[in-house]
Amino acid sequence: MHGLSSSTLAKLLTLALGVFAVQAAHSQQVDTSEWSCEFCPFATGTHADLSIGAGSVSDDSAYFGDASGYSEEGAFVAIDGDGSITGDTHQLSWHVEDLGLDSRYAELRGGRQGTFGYEVAYRQLPHHRYFTSDTIFRQTSNDSLSLPAAWVKAPLTSGFTELDANLMRRNIESERQTWLLGGEYLASGRIAVSASLRREERDGVDLISGSYFTQSSHLPGPFDYVTDIGELGVRYSGDNGFIALDYYLSQFDNNSDSLTWESPFTTVPGAEFGRLARAPDNDFMQLSLSGNYRFASYSTVVAYSLAAGRMQQDANFLPYTINGNLSAAPLPRSNLDADVDTRNVALSLTSRIIDKGRVKVSYRFDERDSNTAQDMWTRIIADSFVSVESETNIPYSFERAAFSLSGEYRLFDSLRVSGGYDRKEVDRDFQEVAEQTEDSGWGRLRWQPNPVIQLSVRGGASERDIDRYNEDFAVMLGQNPLLRKYHLAYRYRRFGELTIAVALPEVPVSLTFKGSYADDEYSQSRLGLLDGDDLQLAADLSWSIDDNKSLYLTGSYQNLESLQAGSEQFDLPDWRATNRDDFYTYGAGFRAQNIADRFDFEFDYLRSDGTSEILLTTATAGISAFPDLESTLDYLRARLTWQRSERSKFDFSLRYQRLESEDWALQNVEPATIPEVLTLGADPYDDDLLIVGVGFRYSIGGTSD
Amino acid sequence: MRIDQQGNDRKRLLFVLCVLASLTASAQDETETSYSRSGADTCLACHDDDVTLALFRTRHAVPSDGRGPFGSGQLQCEACHGPGGAHSPRMRRGQERPPVITFEADDPTPVATRNGMCLECHEADVGFGWHAGPHDNDEVACADCHVTHAARDAVLHTSTQTEVCFDCHQLQRSETLKAFSHPFLEGKMDCSGCHSPHGDTTALQLVRQTLNDTCYDCHAEKRGPYLWEHVPVSEDCGLCHAPHGSNHPGMLTSRAPLLCQSCHAPAGHPSIPQGPGGLADGMPSQFLLGQSCMNCHEQVHGSNHPSGSKLMR
Repeated sequence: MHGLSSSTLAKLLTLALGVFAVQAAHSQQVDTSEWSCEFCPFATGTHADLSIGAGSVSDDSAYFGDASGYSEEGAFVAIDGDGSITGDTHQLSWHVEDLGLDSRYAELRGGRQGTFGYEVAYRQLPHHRYFTSDTIFRQTSNDSLSLPAAWVKAPLTSGFTELDANLMRRNIESERQTWLLGGEYLASGRIAVSASLRREERDGVDLISGSYFTQSSHLPGPFDYVTDIGELGVRYSGDNGFIALDYYLSQFDNNSDSLTWESPFTTVPGAEFGRLARAPDNDFMQLSLSGNYRFASYSTVVAYSLAAGRMQQDANFLPYTINGNLSAAPLPRSNLDADVDTRNVALSLTSRIIDKGRVKVSYRFDERDSNTAQDMWTRIIADSFVSVESETNIPYSFERAAFSLSGEYRLFDSLRVSGGYDRKEVDRDFQEVAEQTEDSGWGRLRWQPNPVIQLSVRGGASERDIDRYNEDFAVMLGQNPLLRKYHLAYRYRRFGELTIAVALPEVPVSLTFKGSYADDEYSQSRLGLLDGDDLQLAADLSWSIDDNKSLYLTGSYQNLESLQAGSEQFDLPDWRATNRDDFYTYGAGFRAQNIADRFDFEFDYLRSDGTSEILLTTATAGISAFPDLESTLDYLRARLTWQRSERSKFDFSLRYQRLESEDWALQNVEPATIPEVLTLGADPYDDDLLIVGVGFRYSIGGTSD
Repeated sequence: MRIDQQGNDRKRLLFVLCVLASLTASAQDETETSYSRSGADTCLACHDDDVTLALFRTRHAVPSDGRGPFGSGQLQCEACHGPGGAHSPRMRRGQERPPVITFEADDPTPVATRNGMCLECHEADVGFGWHAGPHDNDEVACADCHVTHAARDAVLHTSTQTEVCFDCHQLQRSETLKAFSHPFLEGKMDCSGCHSPHGDTTALQLVRQTLNDTCYDCHAEKRGPYLWEHVPVSEDCGLCHAPHGSNHPGMLTSRAPLLCQSCHAPAGHPSIPQGPGGLADGMPSQFLLGQSCMNCHEQVHGSNHPSGSKLMR
């Protein structure tokens, strides 16, 4: 075609690439002794861009303050910037964001590039869940909560006569602080050694449910977590590949092993207090070996990764109960001494066995092998009663293997076809299904008839099968034998993807459309999930109006639907529920630069609109619909920048955010609304926030000096 | 359209032949004639715009780094853009200037050639999975994500990375705009916190060996192993959570109690359908409102309490 066969073109390309390899290998033979780089403006000395901004936040907001740092009404000051100091051999750079806010970040990097480098960083991230939560519980220590002195207990919340007098506001919020220290040393041109230490501290107050036999209280539970993560790595780079050996260690420490609280409800004697276990201290270490090797023939690359790890947990157990009136047999062990081995293998081979084609073969194996011993345990139900049945802990283990084979062939310069086959096998211990397999097949067309349009269509199907669903085992666990847990059940899935990209260089406008679809049928299930669909569509349009102005429009839609069945009578299905989530986003933006040679302007608007609809159909009540769960988010941002001089500029920013939500789980649920549950009475999010700010940015040093 | 296509193919052919000719000459003769006379100084005589010069504020332009393009004896601009000997001389009127390797998305240099230039030095940096990964398979160019001629490469920084990724991954961008998501919109979390854009052999291109290992990296308190494990938790966090975003608190895939009831159907209250009659304006139900099932079964990620088999302690 076009006077030159595509195979000839491909050969020329292959030859060119081969020559490149020769070229690179011989680059040192090029005489560069006269290449003085006299006109190269290398960075030297000190350079810094520093921005100081001040503004005002219109209101308190848990939702918009989450992670952003703009959680409280009032004025704020924030500093951003970056800079560097460059010497003849050493470099040092720094970067700061949002200093002055709770979401601050700072990093420092330095070293002698090509020999060694180091990095120090700090990040603070606030997490706010509720600012509208009220509680009667007083925190007496970091692991206990007590009732107000004048509290009058009652069997139901309606009898809490002292409730209103004792409610106090308690935000559900926490903070994550991360410190990072890392470094790399290049022992030679081929060997690199790296190490890093990361510490994450999380503390604050979380919403914890503290239950009794038939009642429960929502507790503002304090927590204090520390996780230390260390990584060590050594890497060797050869002419045809590399090999890396890495060690990973993660240690989690919880500064509190339990949470004790006093019951506001009337309880059986001795059950005035409840205690639950917090997340236990644990650690995970992993050693991995990875690398690849490139063969000259057929552009073949073999890649591999082998990893072996171990999770351990030996935190001391709490007693069976805090209730001194109950007696139970001694604990079988003082701690779990849990020991779970993990093994991971990943292999892949890619090759261009013919000029027009490429194949890929890959294999992956993941294993979780629990060596934790089993014991018989007494159960004290909610610190109130001794259960007549003993129970055995189950050390769950599984193996997952996945094999895939795929290939692509270029039929024409403008058309490529590809296809693949995947097989997955999962073996599980102590579950209803011991062996599960999944076979998938897919095909794809990629068509680019001209530089203006690109089209990609992919579709396929997969069938997940099981050896058998062990109903006897399900019954032993107390489950209805007709239930099929959706991750264990037979499933037939159809899926498809479509991408269309259009670029009109003359205008110039580009338009991208993407869609994906997946339809899951659990056709052998009678109880549990029966069907699930996911449809996603998205379109983007961008228009470069001229060299200085651009415009974009975006939009998307997602529909998630599922159907499930249940049995109130512990028999055949007698109720069904459909879940339907619809989600829309719309966005638009405009950029203008160098207006009157001094001004830049940015504008973005975004709206996302989510609706969840639940329909319940029962034999007795027919069809009943829940009120829609709704969330509407508006996000508007505008920024005007005035380039006052080559080194200084002012910017004026405005940000407006609004979230309106309808959530029946919280709507009109005051602390005593549910007779058996004392809640925090938090409201659904209905927040709006206006942030206005003025910033001044100044550049110091740099090559323009 | 057909004429354009022919023209485009001719341009490609011309480019290939030009590069081939210059390279072949270099390889065969082992002379430096296909390289420019003075290296970067030759290039900067014409290319002295801000974008080009911004390179000198990046890690690619550190003369003390012997491995870098501007290290002693290295090929400077031509280390990445290829030999410029034919490109740099004065051209006769009407003569088309032979191109060098360029990296803009719509440039004629084939993606494989562009990426080959980057991988010549960065093969080990991208990790073992690039050649089997979807980005390589879909011919995504390194320069589609990375900007080398800028002091700050947006994709390498948390606060700006998602803008780069979402340029192509529109469906994922939409998911992150749901009411409950990780803090992508605020620029406090990036895609590479979980995903390895340079490829991996996990189906989801994850930074750790499995999905759960990836989640535990930041949520180590969920790791256990617990005395009483909630079995889906130790196998796959994604069975209950939609990490890109959800319309439900906690990024759950659907609303409790229905989410729980899709796997739990024992006799008694877990199997009873909870209808809208149990809402606050009816007969408020402890199985539906507040935390739903988690009003009592708090420890859904597992319990280490000896009496915690029902995940209530």
